Amino acid sequence: MITNLDLEEKTDEELVIIILENQNAFSLVVDRYKDKLLRYIRRISSVSVEESEDMLQNIFIKVYLNLNEFDDSLKFSSWVYRIAHNEVIDNYRKRKSRPQLMDVDIKDSYVKELAGDTNILEELSREELKCEISEAINKLDLKFQEIIILKYIEEKDYQEISDIIKKPLGTVASRMNKAKAELKKVLVHKNFS
Amino acid sequence: METKNLGEKILQTIQEQKIKPKGRWYFLLKNYFIWAIGGLALLAAGAALSVMIYFFRYNDFGMRGEINKSFAEMLILTMPYLWIVCLGIFVFVVYYNLKHTKTGYRYPIWIIITVAIVTSLILGGLFTIAGWGERLDEVLEKRTPMYGEMMNPHINFWSNPGEGRLVGIVSGIATKEEFNLVDKDDKEWVIYISERELKFPLEIGQPIRLLGEKKSEVEFEVNRIMPMTPGRGFFKHMGPGDHPPIMKKNF
Repeated sequence: MITNLDLEEKTDEELVIIILENQNAFSLVVDRYKDKLLRYIRRISSVSVEESEDMLQNIFIKVYLNLNEFDDSLKFSSWVYRIAHNEVIDNYRKRKSRPQLMDVDIKDSYVKELAGDTNILEELSREELKCEISEAINKLDLKFQEIIILKYIEEKDYQEISDIIKKPLGTVASRMNKAKAELKKVLVHKNFS
Repeated sequence: METKNLGEKILQTIQEQKIKPKGRWYFLLKNYFIWAIGGLALLAAGAALSVMIYFFRYNDFGMRGEINKSFAEMLILTMPYLWIVCLGIFVFVVYYNLKHTKTGYRYPIWIIITVAIVTSLILGGLFTIAGWGERLDEVLEKRTPMYGEMMNPHINFWSNPGEGRLVGIVSGIATKEEFNLVDKDDKEWVIYISERELKFPLEIGQPIRLLGEKKSEVEFEVNRIMPMTPGRGFFKHMGPGDHPPIMKKNF
């Protein structure tokens, strides 16, 4: 008999096998991912709280429906984020409106890295810098916004980003460079105008 | 709504709607389907290439002096454009399906396209060695209306009496110096053999190519007779009933 405590110690991948036998174990996946995914949805889309919760519900239903599709050629978290990514893209296409980024909580280490290319920001305090970057990310295309969020806010590595957005590693790297270049452009323009 | 309640709501929805995970077979089938379509497209690309190789093998580049065409002109006139388009479509289908396999997205476009093209080339070469390109062309010409004129550039290239090229099927042998030929438009020609030393075992119902000179709207003087290679199926599809029974005559 597996107890809840045992289940909590299981890895995501082990949990998938258990969920296929016992539906109730899916609550652990929901618990592990609901906050992360809700934040991710709200960071890259302009939807209301209610709508983001509806999207989250759809995402978990899709995760559950497609559990048998998951295999260990990629991380479970990447697979879940991929479903979330697709849901956000579908929603974006339906609405056909440009998503507005919510305030993002960028880690200090990443603020430094992201700001590294733009010398003009040296005089700004860390908080001002965060605010500047957050606003600048908001002005980028969705594909650039998303890649920066995945890397610097969701803290995914390139392989995970590749698995989430279903693009080759080279494309991820070049898109990241372009996103940074666009971000720099926006920041420079903002501070000179 | 708090996320704790949200989690419960999601589980409740799953239970209320009796949602069950799709079976493993569904994803296996989907995966096999993608691979199968990709595989079929690859075979089709190989077949398209083998037909194109077959056309190129009989492109008559060596006869460009007699035909009065430059290499480039002959290349342009005998290029199997529609087969090239088909090949492009098949390669795209291979690419699309490989890209949509489980891990296909991990590979850059150029790798997938290169793999698709190189594999098609290898298959095309193997099919050519096995003679499948020739056989496929003949079958398609016999059984598919319009295939010959649309897909085989040799038929139109050789159907130009004004420039001294005529192609068709032998419909009658009158004398040693004269026989009849039906061209692709079902028009009957009287063919005069200008050179006595011209030797070619003619058979009624046989598709042939002629080099010579147009004498009138229905007369053609020939100075070279050659068998029809790509395109012979097209003339065979006219059906044996349309022509007198086959008989051989050596000149």
